[in-house]
Amino acid sequence: MRSEVRQLAWCLSAWTLVWLAGCSDPDRGAAEPAGPAPPAASPAEGQGPPAARPAEGQGPPAVPVKTPPVITTEKPATPPPAEPKEEPKPEPTEAFVAPPLAEVDAQANWIDQPVANLLDLRRKEEQGTQPPVSVAEALALKNDSKENNDKLVTTLGRVAQTADNIDYDAVLNRHIKADAKSTNPLFQSSVYEADVMGLIGLLPFTFDRDMNRFGDADVIVSWQTSSDRLMDKIVLRDDLLWTDGHPVTAHDLEFAFNTVMSPKISVPAIKTSLARLKGVKAYDDRTLVYFHKEALATNIWNVSIPFIPKHVYEKTLQEDPTMEQSPAHVELEKNPVTCGPYRVVERTLGSSYLFERRDDWFLKDGKQIREKPYFKQVRMRVISELNTALLALKKGEIDEMELSAEQWVNQTNDESFYEQNTKASGVEWTTYLFTWNLSTPFFSDVRVRKAMGYAFNHKELLEKQNFGLFEAANGPYHQTSWMSPKPGPVPYTQDLDKAEALLDEAGWVDSDNDGIRDKLVDGKRVKFEFSIICTPVEERKKLCTLLKDNLEQIGVICNVSPLDFAVLQERTVEHKFQAAFGGWGAGADPDLSFNIYGTKEGRNYGLYSNPEVDRLFKEARGEFDRGKRAKLYARIHELIYEDQPSTFLFTKNSFYAFSKKLRGYRFSPRGPYHYGPGAFSLYKVKN
Amino acid sequence: MLNYLLRRLLIGLVTLVAITFLVFGLIRSMPGSPALMAMAEASPDRTIDPADLERMNRDYGLDKPWYQAYFVWLGNVLQGDLGRSFFRKEPVARLIRQRMGPTLLLSVTSLLMTYLLSIPLGLYSSARANRPEERVLSTGLYMLYSLPAFVAALLLLYLFAYKLDWLPLFGMTSDNHQTLSPSGKFFDIVWHAVLPVICSTYGSLAYYTRFVRANLQEVIRQDYIRTARAKGAGPLRVLVRHAFRNTLIPLVTLVGLTLPYLLSGSIVLEQVFSWPGMGRMYFESINARDYPVIMGLTLLFSTLALVGQLLADVLYAVVDPRVSYS
Repeated sequence: MRSEVRQLAWCLSAWTLVWLAGCSDPDRGAAEPAGPAPPAASPAEGQGPPAARPAEGQGPPAVPVKTPPVITTEKPATPPPAEPKEEPKPEPTEAFVAPPLAEVDAQANWIDQPVANLLDLRRKEEQGTQPPVSVAEALALKNDSKENNDKLVTTLGRVAQTADNIDYDAVLNRHIKADAKSTNPLFQSSVYEADVMGLIGLLPFTFDRDMNRFGDADVIVSWQTSSDRLMDKIVLRDDLLWTDGHPVTAHDLEFAFNTVMSPKISVPAIKTSLARLKGVKAYDDRTLVYFHKEALATNIWNVSIPFIPKHVYEKTLQEDPTMEQSPAHVELEKNPVTCGPYRVVERTLGSSYLFERRDDWFLKDGKQIREKPYFKQVRMRVISELNTALLALKKGEIDEMELSAEQWVNQTNDESFYEQNTKASGVEWTTYLFTWNLSTPFFSDVRVRKAMGYAFNHKELLEKQNFGLFEAANGPYHQTSWMSPKPGPVPYTQDLDKAEALLDEAGWVDSDNDGIRDKLVDGKRVKFEFSIICTPVEERKKLCTLLKDNLEQIGVICNVSPLDFAVLQERTVEHKFQAAFGGWGAGADPDLSFNIYGTKEGRNYGLYSNPEVDRLFKEARGEFDRGKRAKLYARIHELIYEDQPSTFLFTKNSFYAFSKKLRGYRFSPRGPYHYGPGAFSLYKVKN
Repeated sequence: MLNYLLRRLLIGLVTLVAITFLVFGLIRSMPGSPALMAMAEASPDRTIDPADLERMNRDYGLDKPWYQAYFVWLGNVLQGDLGRSFFRKEPVARLIRQRMGPTLLLSVTSLLMTYLLSIPLGLYSSARANRPEERVLSTGLYMLYSLPAFVAALLLLYLFAYKLDWLPLFGMTSDNHQTLSPSGKFFDIVWHAVLPVICSTYGSLAYYTRFVRANLQEVIRQDYIRTARAKGAGPLRVLVRHAFRNTLIPLVTLVGLTLPYLLSGSIVLEQVFSWPGMGRMYFESINARDYPVIMGLTLLFSTLALVGQLLADVLYAVVDPRVSYS
């Protein structure tokens, strides 16, 4: 349960990756909401199309556009804990000094926030309901239609109501596509570390399938927000232990925060999120207060500080502030001191991780203090080659894996697959798009961008290239999400006449009869010929080639140029491209998209700018009522769709295969794992 | 000979510096940077603080022009420090060490197998040149030669690991590896290495066999072979004792040239078999712009290439008394 959440957080990054990517990352990701959305897609895989890694990289560019919005006023970050001496300039100057607790309590006017065990919540939600079919029927189903998928997920995905049917001695063999880079929670960046951290790490907060934020009842007893929304206070449980037997305290969190903010350590992935806090203060072993810079609805996503053991690192950091070089740190990487429900017992380079359930997680002096995690051991097998992974699944050596669209459609329908496994799919808030660079003479005119939308053969993409598996996208937010307008804009369909009329109107006509449209720009005749960049993944190249073919019919030359991800990343971040294909994941909070569509924001690769959109984002960030926020984002969605800074193509789904022994999986818009309870609701049935 | 060796070593060192200087310049000039890759992993709603970026660049030594950074790197290498991976947070030397064993296990075994099989096969096809059995053998080997390792690996996995369940699907060790006796551990690894070794061997078989055969064909036309035959030596004796020994010279060159490949690993096979080798690490570090790892591996591979050539030249003198460096 909780853990899941944790994962999320960690995962954040993961999502991100996806943006233009193509790389191999996974799409799913993660975790804590921290971020907004995840990026999109995963590339490589065969999946569908592809997404790009959008976000990915997006990041920030070198071009430092301003720092994240939210924060604005004060400078960057918080104070480094220890010595800031030798560091040059960029570090924060004013250190944050927390007021005494009595003062804080006196001013705060605390409002209680929900603290829950999300596995319990789900259990209650399902109690008294009946699955549409029996388990035996669900196991016999072939997942070849939406109806069957729904039956399967709602039946096999139910959580365990009692312990009777759970095989607590079972081992869960999970599949991961690449090795995690580190077991240190501060070094998390990709989804692989997130998956590992989900088991061994801990976060005080979690969120459910609908992205509602909760305090994790396995970790904290209470969570309160001040009435001015500038502080959050949590009280930790007193029965959490590190694997070396030391108690887990609020000081560990404060220490983690200070370590991340230290100028000596390089942990940008996690730092970007925590830098939005003014500071963090542990008032005693259990009480911690987060201080925010502004009263924003998005503050609840900035509090995901992972626990790290202060008693261990305060000594080792003195000798090696980088946290990665000294022999002691190298040893800690191998045998980390952790506080989550599982501990690392074995790590085989590049091939597997073995985790074991901790008795002291759920038992104290022989009494049960938390729910017993469902697996005795969890093994993560690193198998990069998806064909090998599918064989391993069929052979029973892994119990679950994410399938590529190709595998879903063509390789998992026969008896050899269904003998021991079944498969399930869920809607994912990941959107793929063509991003136009508005600073080029081609795409500065909205009529041209609209013409691109009309020129593209959406039907062929959706039905042929994507096997009919995905829905058309109609804007930045997923149609099923709470923040998208209802009803939403109608997705574009191909209409070459309209496209041509729009181009004519925008002045792009074939004046010299060479078959290519042109226009006088700054006194020079410019031909309509541009390049679209994408990662070198077959599906993506195919998709871009479809655009090329479509545009050729209306006198526009489009060159497809696949680029290595690192290069693509650099080009997009520095706005040195004309058009790019990629994807963005939606995160837990719609504000994520500000960094993508806000004027001069870090991942606004195409340099889109609409002051009204900027204003609405700002307004929505300060709005605490979800209903009202939803309306603001719906308006943003419509405005962006009208402006077409990108041609929105499709949203992808998650595809997973599960062993028939597994139960309890349920999909969130971030896939089956990266939310609460996520992977912690999975269990194996007794034989 | 000693003189010769010294001279070669000196030239080797200069070459090494030149290669690494060049590669260093090239990779630093490649578009894309490790700091941007780190950003790629941050959540899409965040923009990394320019101060953090700057620090990262400084930590990574990217704030200096590459030719300056090269000498810093070179200085560290001379002190035995290859640097630390940006991406994996570990010293490069340790990363290389970890991957070396698994890589050598595959490559050395595969090389030995190739020699053990291709020499007799080459002799055989030479002795039976142009007869039907030789044709069949050559055609068969050529077919193997043109079969991509990736396809063969998946087919073999499907058959032996999945259908028949005789061999493991992935990895280098079993889940219970730690609990096995020393000999158990050894056999466990051998068991896991069978398919990867087959896949990395079969392709070179045709090449080496053909190599041996072609050289033999040439030697066999020499006068001294006729003399040997005239003396009454049996066909086998002529082939092995008289002819084959003379084909050793080009074979030795080949050994020298193979040396760098022993450690370079195979991206494709390592991927399919989930083998923790050097090939994937090299590939991943290029994708991630993990400069210290790329440089560490480049240094290793170029050193091996140079040593390999030197070795081949020295071995010439050993196998061919006509060659002398004195």
